[in-house]
Amino acid sequence: MKELSSYVGTDLPSFEVNSVDPQKMKTMAALLRDPYPVHWDRKANEVLGIGDNVINQGPLNLSYVANMLMQWQGPTCIKRLKAKFLKPVFDNDVVMAGGKVLEVLDESSSRILCEIWLMRENEIVLSGEAEIILTN
Amino acid sequence: MIISEEEILALRGYKFPGGVRKIEHWENWLLTDCTTAEQLPDELVHPIALFHVPIQGSGLSISELFSLGQVNGAGSVGLDGYDWEYFHPLKENIPYRCQGEIIDVERIETDNGRIYDRFVFSIDLSTERGLLVARVTNYWRLWRKR
Repeated sequence: MKELSSYVGTDLPSFEVNSVDPQKMKTMAALLRDPYPVHWDRKANEVLGIGDNVINQGPLNLSYVANMLMQWQGPTCIKRLKAKFLKPVFDNDVVMAGGKVLEVLDESSSRILCEIWLMRENEIVLSGEAEIILTN
Repeated sequence: MIISEEEILALRGYKFPGGVRKIEHWENWLLTDCTTAEQLPDELVHPIALFHVPIQGSGLSISELFSLGQVNGAGSVGLDGYDWEYFHPLKENIPYRCQGEIIDVERIETDNGRIYDRFVFSIDLSTERGLLVARVTNYWRLWRKR
């Protein structure tokens, strides 16, 4: 494994969702037992002024970031996720999860801190930090 | 009629009933599929399960949380953020004991006159032997005047 400090400033390999799928929002709503209609009822959303759209669940937005981290360092690498939800993500949006290594938190356990984000075109819709264990 | 500030602040310290929750394979499979990821190996649960599993495991539903906060309908709830800690990987078919409470509530009026309640709750997941596996803290916005 490389020197841990050499990771600082490294961009994480991105994870792209080519089109946010409204069918997955419906499945997710059922799994979560989420009664909030913004995820599945286009008519209910008319009052929100978002046109004929449904809004992706916040956990799904964060899941794309989790997928990016696991794709990079394996399925058990995530130790902490802190996220702020800045903008809604709609059905059929194209979003890309990305990140950058900020610092080494603990040399002995290879624990590092990363800045994380989810982008739609040039707009950040979710931002935060992740603590992960380097395994590769 | 907006819920009074006194009434909403009284929710601070409200303890959830608590309970035990397992994540079955079918549920994890569908959850992972929703995230567009490949299925994980070794019965590992997708990390995003830390949204609904702690809520349901602590004896509540999202509906009941909405009722506690006295919100309903499109646009009444927003997500501010999450802080989720993973002390051990989550696995399918393990019974996790879930215990949580509302740790903070604050009424906030924005510069342009909008009013919301910042609603914060935290839930611990432990094995039946008491090993702390994960802790979630969720920050919601309950809109009162938009």
